[in-house]
Amino acid sequence: MVDLNGTLLAQIVNFLILVAILAKFAYKPLMQGLADRQQKIADSIDTAERERREAEQLKLEYKQQLVEARSKAQAIVETAEKLAEENKEEILRAARAESAHILQKAQEEVARERELALAQLRGEVVALSMAAATKIVKEKMDTELNASLVSDFIEKLDDQKIGGLPC
Amino acid sequence: MEHGHEIGSHPLAHFAGLTFNMDTLMMTWITMAIVIVLAIAATRRIEIRPRGWQNFLEMAVVALLEQVEANMGPKGQKLAPLIITLFLFLVVGNELGLIPGFTSPTNDINTTLGLALMIVVIVHVLGVKNKGFIRYIKHFFEPYIPFVIINIIEEVAKPITLSFRLFGNILAGEILLLVLGMLVPYFVPTLWLAFSVFVGVVQAFIFTMLSISYLSNSLQDDHH
Repeated sequence: MVDLNGTLLAQIVNFLILVAILAKFAYKPLMQGLADRQQKIADSIDTAERERREAEQLKLEYKQQLVEARSKAQAIVETAEKLAEENKEEILRAARAESAHILQKAQEEVARERELALAQLRGEVVALSMAAATKIVKEKMDTELNASLVSDFIEKLDDQKIGGLPC
Repeated sequence: MEHGHEIGSHPLAHFAGLTFNMDTLMMTWITMAIVIVLAIAATRRIEIRPRGWQNFLEMAVVALLEQVEANMGPKGQKLAPLIITLFLFLVVGNELGLIPGFTSPTNDINTTLGLALMIVVIVHVLGVKNKGFIRYIKHFFEPYIPFVIINIIEEVAKPITLSFRLFGNILAGEILLLVLGMLVPYFVPTLWLAFSVFVGVVQAFIFTMLSISYLSNSLQDDHH
């Protein structure tokens, strides 16, 4: 069972051949693969770290920009409000002035119309008086006639005023 | 093997004045072929994301590499292929004997003692290379000159314990498997077979770890 012979040497040689084959065909690619993977993992971690830092930086920037934007917006709103206030005052003042102007103009117009109407009325009255006078002068001016004229007038007046009711 | 096969006896072949156990050599070549196929299959296309068999082999190899690194340091890197091959050869060899019709190459003392002697020779060669011949010889006489006896016994014991442990475990496992198969068929041999699978891995691991430990001793600079 335990007898040593040439197998011992053969086994050593066999094993060394196996070592040589594996070292050449399996060990090298394996170590290369392991090294590649390690490199890749290290790269990934580095990249992730770098990206994280960049993201943090960006976040900080954005935050700052947001604060700036907010303050700027605040300023713009304030300016706009002030401007609007000023505008309002301006517009009100202008409107007030305009209304006063219009009122004055209207009053003047009314006054002028009144003057004109009065002048026209006066002219008409004069013309009417003149017509009446002419008519009277045209008729023979005697008492009889005068009397009939007057009564005629009164009758007409009665007709007109009382509506032709019999007395 | 057939009934009536005498366990531990080998068909012999004579060549160049030496005797060879042909079954052991055959099984060794089969083991070598399996190891080569597995290793090349696992490493033919190394992917960044390991899959399947590559993942499994890598796990074993990385674990061994860590042991080599931890025990031997950067100088041991050159020996890493040897250690990894040793482990793969022993695992496959040990488990091969559990397949009906096959025997383990490690159930022959020639195989285990051959490997153990090879390791011991490497240990001493590395020791001389690392420490220089004078210092290397001197370290057998430390801490006191009479310790040379103990030290030499230790050095002789190393290959013997290493080889007989593996040989005994594997041969005993195979013998017991056959005996149990004859005495209480089916259930009990199956249990023992399962246990032998475990024993095969453990023995391969022990042999490899002890080899690493012996090799690391001779690589250390400031011993004592």
